[in-house]
Amino acid sequence: MALEVELAEVRDFLAQHEPFAGLPAPVLEDLPARMSMRYVRRGAPVIARGEDNHHLVLLRSGAADVHDAQGTLVDRGEAGTSFGSITLTQGNPSTFAVTAIEDCLLLLLPAEDFHALCRAHPDFAAFFDAQRRHRMQGAVAALQLSASGTAILKTTVRELVAREPVSVPSATSIREAARVMAEQRVSSVLVMERGRVAGILTDRDLRTRVVAGGVDASAPVAQVMTADPVTTSVESLAFEALLTMTSRHIHHLPLVDAEGRAAGVVTTTDLLRLEEANPVYLAGDIVKQPDVEGVARSASRLPRVVQGLVEQDASADDIGRVATAVGDAVERRVIALAEAELGPPPVPYCWVALGSRARLEQALASDQDTALLVDDALDEDGQAWFEALAERVTEGLVRCGYPRCRGEVMATNPRWRKPVAAWEREFSSWLSAPTPEAVLHSSIFFDMRAVHGQEELLVRLRRHVLRATPGAQTFLAHLARHAGAHEPPLGFFRGFVLEKAGEHRDTLDIKRGGILPVVELARVHALAVGSAAVNTRARLAAAAEGGALSAELAEDLRDAFEFIGYVRLRHQSEQVRAGQVSDNFVAPDSLSSFEKRHLREAFAIVRFAQQALGRRYLTQFVS
Amino acid sequence: MTWPGRSVAARRRRAAGRAAPGPLREYLAVPSPSRETPLEDLPLLALDLETTGLDPRSDRVLSAGWVPVDGDRIVLGGARRLLVRDAGEVGQSATVHGITDDALGAGRPLEEVVGELLGALAGRVLLAHFARVETRFLDAACRRFWGARMPVEVVDTLELERRLLPGGGEAPQAPGALRLWTARARRGLPLYSAHEALTDALACAELYLAQRSELEHATPERTTALRHVVA
Repeated sequence: MALEVELAEVRDFLAQHEPFAGLPAPVLEDLPARMSMRYVRRGAPVIARGEDNHHLVLLRSGAADVHDAQGTLVDRGEAGTSFGSITLTQGNPSTFAVTAIEDCLLLLLPAEDFHALCRAHPDFAAFFDAQRRHRMQGAVAALQLSASGTAILKTTVRELVAREPVSVPSATSIREAARVMAEQRVSSVLVMERGRVAGILTDRDLRTRVVAGGVDASAPVAQVMTADPVTTSVESLAFEALLTMTSRHIHHLPLVDAEGRAAGVVTTTDLLRLEEANPVYLAGDIVKQPDVEGVARSASRLPRVVQGLVEQDASADDIGRVATAVGDAVERRVIALAEAELGPPPVPYCWVALGSRARLEQALASDQDTALLVDDALDEDGQAWFEALAERVTEGLVRCGYPRCRGEVMATNPRWRKPVAAWEREFSSWLSAPTPEAVLHSSIFFDMRAVHGQEELLVRLRRHVLRATPGAQTFLAHLARHAGAHEPPLGFFRGFVLEKAGEHRDTLDIKRGGILPVVELARVHALAVGSAAVNTRARLAAAAEGGALSAELAEDLRDAFEFIGYVRLRHQSEQVRAGQVSDNFVAPDSLSSFEKRHLREAFAIVRFAQQALGRRYLTQFVS
Repeated sequence: MTWPGRSVAARRRRAAGRAAPGPLREYLAVPSPSRETPLEDLPLLALDLETTGLDPRSDRVLSAGWVPVDGDRIVLGGARRLLVRDAGEVGQSATVHGITDDALGAGRPLEEVVGELLGALAGRVLLAHFARVETRFLDAACRRFWGARMPVEVVDTLELERRLLPGGGEAPQAPGALRLWTARARRGLPLYSAHEALTDALACAELYLAQRSELEHATPERTTALRHVVA
């Protein structure tokens, strides 16, 4: 051979590392000449966050770390590891930072050659899909890493203080100061001199120093205030404030900003409220309420609880369980209160939660989805009792912040309030002759969970349904088609797939576009293997176990579901913080680039799973 | 290889006036990078010649391998490895290079190989490890084929290594401390099994990138230019 462009060492190196190892020999032979090499010192960026990248970067020697937008380590690679595929497939700039942790020699493959390889070699492309998913899992895990630690250790006092400080000048009379406190409904007032906090006057001071001490109420407030009170910075942790207050036996602690200006007052009650945001405390509180008003008052704290959990980076799965537990507590208490008024039920029954609460996946902005399973011995008179129960409970739930279901899927609807035998007939007809309506109904009614009463009634119905489902191929095919009907908005990052009209114009319906597609996929796969699981994660696990889903895809879907759920809860939590009503409509501008990137990956996984499901049931042939 | 008292540019002009038409004259017509060129913009050509010995008068070139370096990038697409076909036998050096007489039979005449090399070297600085071998053999070939010398700016990774080692080149070095593979091992650069011209040229280019980043790291106050590293 007269002329050899033989970069044997580079070619051999590529041949030793996936995904290059899987490429045909002639392709491998040709690749080194398309590459260039760079050297990066330890500590220097391989790919800088926020900058454009136009190469697939392969570590020839050395080691590098990948950090996500939050600065969390999501991957680490040594010789043979590739970086940069995310920007090449999903666009610049990079949201990840790849940094050399040892001196690195890099092989760079230009973007166009990378894309040509992906097109020509599906295994090559699939390797990078999997790598992206892996880095996404790292990102999800990182979000939850900080879930430990309680609110009091993480919250600053600034976050506890909802209002501007109430203050009076030092020359103000005691009477006038008391009037201001009464008017503003506060238990203390700051006394100001030349813009500084000169003192504080509390309810207790009025009691002990003014009334008990016989001081004239027209005297200046400076005479009875606590002068030069202990203050703390608005940036202190609630924990530190609590320590200060308990060690000095005080109940009011003025807050000052960096310039020494008054920024508010934190009270022991504020600190206790932090613990009220503890979901265990909330559920316990609900059970103790003597009437629906009390339940409603307690339940109104749920949004704050969810917000607190989101801020503590609890997982979407955990938050779903908490919101569900609170929802259950509310419903059980309202049912118990109704039963107390109506007298004992004429026959046994089971009050059933449907939909997201049945799956332990409730978020905020949930409406009611309920049904009643009644013992077959039900007679005419009994029906009236159950109708009254359904009315009272539904009305009570509305007062507690759970609006009526717009589709009337509630126990108040006689269709969804009947003896178990009638339920069994209903399901049988859905399974044997699936109409579009039947498929829609089943999608709600396969997600059932007993909340109150005789659980055996639901167990009986579920057994009946599960016996029939795996064989009902036509029905499953319809359900599969239904599951593929809500495509996740994969174009989210190009033109955005948004609501086109109405109140929620220019927003993304994250429930319909993200949550429900996974719920539906998990449901049809779990039913196909005869699983009784209701929770989406449990269904995915059951489907993987039963062979309906690959373990890998099940895991990917679980992570995608978690991430989409997280984005929804973050959105709702911000609405709570802003004093708005929570919903599922996310404005794209409110998403960080980290969230956009991972949402897109999550949507891609969901779409892939929908297509796989479509092929399995050949949904295009079912009409 | 030095011609004291004369700049490379002057010697290049002089050689250009003497060179016969052909690759050498064309090479000399392209200006060499200025000594003020910052390393981040400096074009180099990493070169390795495999020879039967160290003396151009009695030894022969067996093969040439080279790869361009543009600033901080090794451009693998410009890599070449050319075998030389010549009269005579390979002899004992085959055990070192693995190039047998049969393989050399497939090579090209030295004049063609050097001609193509000069084309690749035009406008670039020559980069080699212990560059004296390369410059002396090339100089001899140019005089033989085109009647003129081949003045060239050189960056020698061996010289850079001497400067980077503790003592800044003054202290005596352990035997072998400056060898290409020792210098690479010191930095954790990849181990290469083959010893042929292109692999060695690539090994030299990679070492240069590492040395360059060390030099610049050590002297952050200045922009390191060719004059700081030229041999």
